[in-house]
Amino acid sequence: MNGDVLIKVIDLKKHYLGGKVKALDGINVEIQTGEVVVIIGPSGSVKSTLLRSLNLLEIPTGGSIIFEGVDICDPKQNINLHRQKMGMVFQHFNLFANMNIIDNMTIAPRKRLKKSKDEATEKAMELLKRVGLADRANDYPSQLSGGQKQRIAIVRALCMEPDVMLFDEPTSALDPEMVGEVLDVMKSLAKSGTTMIVVTHEMGFAKEVGNRVIFMDGGKIIEEGTPQEIFENPQSDRLKSFLAKVL
Amino acid sequence: MNDFFASVVDKFTRCFIAKSYWKMILQGFRDSLIITFFSIILGLLIGVILATIRTSYDKNEESLKIKGGIGYWSLKILNSLCKAYIAVIRGVPVVVQLLIWYFIILATQKNSIIVAVAAFGVNSGAYVAEIFRGGIMSVDVGQFEAGRSLGFNYVQTMIHIIIPQAFKTVLPTLLNEFIAVLKETSIAGYVGITDLTRAGAIIRAQTFEAFMPLIAVAIIYLVTVIVLTALFTRIERRLRNSER
Repeated sequence: MNGDVLIKVIDLKKHYLGGKVKALDGINVEIQTGEVVVIIGPSGSVKSTLLRSLNLLEIPTGGSIIFEGVDICDPKQNINLHRQKMGMVFQHFNLFANMNIIDNMTIAPRKRLKKSKDEATEKAMELLKRVGLADRANDYPSQLSGGQKQRIAIVRALCMEPDVMLFDEPTSALDPEMVGEVLDVMKSLAKSGTTMIVVTHEMGFAKEVGNRVIFMDGGKIIEEGTPQEIFENPQSDRLKSFLAKVL
Repeated sequence: MNDFFASVVDKFTRCFIAKSYWKMILQGFRDSLIITFFSIILGLLIGVILATIRTSYDKNEESLKIKGGIGYWSLKILNSLCKAYIAVIRGVPVVVQLLIWYFIILATQKNSIIVAVAAFGVNSGAYVAEIFRGGIMSVDVGQFEAGRSLGFNYVQTMIHIIIPQAFKTVLPTLLNEFIAVLKETSIAGYVGITDLTRAGAIIRAQTFEAFMPLIAVAIIYLVTVIVLTALFTRIERRLRNSER
């Protein structure tokens, strides 16, 4: 193991059309256990591509991702075993439409972690209570509001007891009045010491909860630092003009 | 008026009762149903396998290409074979296919019904494959990604998440295909099977009466399709209820 480093991204590249389009152009970053890292940047800066590369939903064309000491880009690795330890929350929730809430939450622990139905249900109900949705356990996703769906999506990922949580613009598809309830769940997660990597446009969240902020543009990391460094003392012109527009 | 009824009754008697032609109609109907049933089963089997290969290739091409090796190449070859099969089946009229099975591929097979099942089943398989492929592809890619992100492998994601959702969307189109198969079997007479249509044709030739046998045959097909449709509507409703 690499001591405290949970994920180490080395010279990660994602090229299309034989290198003509460089979506990710040599990304180097380290994520430590317990850290909350927020990735910000303008649209098209491939923040999501970087996040989705971390659990290989996007397949990088170069470089490596060391997760818990193993290079998961190595084709010999069983990626499914690593993905189990990386919870992911999507912009569009992606709750399984053919299952009710409790099945959404228990199917992966049962099929992948071989938990008993009772054990998985108990854990799921406990998490549902934490996000105040225990009474919706038997409902189907189509019966829930966006904010409720996203809170369920977060606890569904937590049912697998992951070592890191990846958030891909979790509040971007929500009505404004529902953003708060989802951010609250994420804040309490951060407080409990969960390692989190969050792609978001919520600058308030980045400032308040982030331990570290990464600013990306054009497939590269332009600046990274503490929220104070990024928001109060930006170095690059690109970041300055970005913050001038969003703050 | 009385004359009219009398002539209708007379025609009906001559066409169905007098020489027990109704038995031929019934046996023809039975054979049509047998051919339809087994063709649908064979078509579903072929279709699901083909759709699985085609979508696996489309969904995994990128990752397999990077991994390389035998997995990628075998899937690529299988995928090309599936595409060729679908192209050939869709490009050749089903009557011609039936005759090819009868006179060439299964020339030694004495049982014509088996020949017909092979021909109609293999034909239907190509269409079912495309129906299922469309269904699988219509499921939001996010559902697939969510499954994979929880650690499910490709097959588990398909079985637990994608196929149940795809099945619901393909039901109406699948019914269409089943109805098409039932009606396609009306050409089974070409290879010496006395199916429903053929039975009607024989009666027409024997009695010189066209109206009665043709309308009778048409009504039997129509009723069968209506029953099939009602059955599917029920299944659809039940599936929809399970989601709400």
